[in-house]
Amino acid sequence: ISQHAIQRCSQWRCYASASSAGLSQDKITERVMTVIKLFEKISAEKLTIESHFMKELGLDSLDHVELLMAIEDEFGFEIPDQDAEKLNKPSDIIKYLCEKMEVDYK
Amino acid sequence: MTSPPPQLRSQVIALYKNLLYMGRDYPKGYAYFRDRLKSVFLKNSGVKDPDQIKVLIGRGEFVIKELEALYMLRKYRALKHRYYEKDEATTSATTSSSDKKAPTKTQ
Repeated sequence: ISQHAIQRCSQWRCYASASSAGLSQDKITERVMTVIKLFEKISAEKLTIESHFMKELGLDSLDHVELLMAIEDEFGFEIPDQDAEKLNKPSDIIKYLCEKMEVDYK
Repeated sequence: MTSPPPQLRSQVIALYKNLLYMGRDYPKGYAYFRDRLKSVFLKNSGVKDPDQIKVLIGRGEFVIKELEALYMLRKYRALKHRYYEKDEATTSATTSSSDKKAPTKTQ
């Protein structure tokens, strides 16, 4: 019975330690960029880590809300609105997520 | 011309976010809902008068309540359809036949 319980526990995401859950800045970067690329209002050619959502990629503030909702879904936690309005480039998002998930950011 | 206070702006953004969450379950599809929601918000984006903005926010919150009611009704109907249609058939069959007690799904 205890073995079954242990097996089930391993299927749950473990936020206790970022490194044990296999999180690194590179993995976070990859996931963030994938989510952004899947956002249909953004053209993948123009997208770089430093592209500004509103000034360079042509998003308006409502699109920005929607994009951050997609990021919230991917990483499983809510981003409060006052933090959200400062996240204007992919690099901002990556830095913020690293801080929140206690992953080293270089 | 005074610009509206920033807390109204964040209220509007929060409202848009809530409406997007509600839109995920919308029967006609998320994309349909999102496009229409966005066009309505953009149409009203020029409004600067705080009182008018509050009226519009109130309208948005009313829409959220309506969607909640719609979804609750839909769930109720789905469950009713799933669990009670059969039982109506069996109860009508058992009452029409004699005193034989046929097992029904509900206790």
